[in-house]
Amino acid sequence: MKAKAISIHSARGGTGKTVIATNLAMILAKKGLSAGLLDLDFRAPSLNAIFSNALRDKPKFWLNDYLNGQCTEEQVMIDVSRNYNVEGELLIGLANPGVEAIRSILNKSSAWEVTAVKKMFALLCKLFTEMEVDCCLLDTSPGIQYSSINSAVSSDLTIAVTTMDSLDLGGTENMLANLYDALSRKTVVLVNKYSPETRTFKGEPPEAVASRVENALKHPVIGVIPCFCDVLQRERASIMAVYDPKHPFVGKIEEIAKKLEEMF
Amino acid sequence: MTEDVSNAEQSEILGRTFSLFQLISQQLDQLIRMSEKLLETQNQFLTSVNNRSVEGFPPDTLSLLTLPSSLRKTVMALYKLQKATAEDIAAETKRLRGMESAWANQLVRMGYLKKVREGRRVYFYIEPAPEMKK
Repeated sequence: MKAKAISIHSARGGTGKTVIATNLAMILAKKGLSAGLLDLDFRAPSLNAIFSNALRDKPKFWLNDYLNGQCTEEQVMIDVSRNYNVEGELLIGLANPGVEAIRSILNKSSAWEVTAVKKMFALLCKLFTEMEVDCCLLDTSPGIQYSSINSAVSSDLTIAVTTMDSLDLGGTENMLANLYDALSRKTVVLVNKYSPETRTFKGEPPEAVASRVENALKHPVIGVIPCFCDVLQRERASIMAVYDPKHPFVGKIEEIAKKLEEMF
Repeated sequence: MTEDVSNAEQSEILGRTFSLFQLISQQLDQLIRMSEKLLETQNQFLTSVNNRSVEGFPPDTLSLLTLPSSLRKTVMALYKLQKATAEDIAAETKRLRGMESAWANQLVRMGYLKKVREGRRVYFYIEPAPEMKK
């Protein structure tokens, strides 16, 4: 796999971006690759909680500090490979969950955002060259916000995650047409939480759903993940690929990882 | 008799020629209308650019969407390259060096980019945010 940056984005919240990004990064690391995972959801950071077991102390530097020019690329990335006994490597960059940090990022000027996108490119360049990362996943904020657009602009591919809810699909269609196509970004769609029991799609197999979504959104569909009630009932901070690797949800993410490897 | 047929043929040819001219005329009218619309859009864009305050107006990712796609690609290459010659930008965008030079200079005139000469080379860059200069 050539070194690639992949953004995980969605038009609206609650589509499962973070769960998908975390499990995907873990699966790549378990396969022997060197994976990076960045929390770019500065408004509602969550990777710090997901990886809290792996972090003995509070991180010295957050991605917020890096974008503010207060630390280097090496200082902001945390190696958690040993904690999960993966064959490859897993490096994570966390967003500061503190209220003051969130307030500060909300008040940044558009000029600061320009510097932030340049810093993102510099971080990815360092990860791919000197730190030998094979694939870096960028977990973003939902909707059209600077952090998510900056992430999409600096990525080689964006995975737009949607459910089959009409609001999600409509938002994704709008985002694909008015943002990703306008910026000429390579984008694929991932349908999550698909339930064949819903009234509109009663009995339709995932392949038919993928084809229907592809026709409607005019972008390739990389996968359709069924809605697993037990996944929804679990703590979101538990990484399925670690604690229940044989679960069919993990199997679906492994299929997506394989497709990504084939793409690059 | 032959002369009559010939006349009939002639008038048919004339009729067809006339229809063709009518069609060409309609197509030309449509082309003129499209060109006028294009010029109007271009003028609106230039007016909006001229009305902007050039000082402190960096090309952030959301305002990229207001730029024509040709210029947008140049800015996106500079996010990555940070500081680059037209040749470096052309290598990134896979477009012609001469075109990149023209677009980068247009972006300089619009206040989006800065340029600096170092020896024989001219470098283009996006000015850092004031809070990052400290």
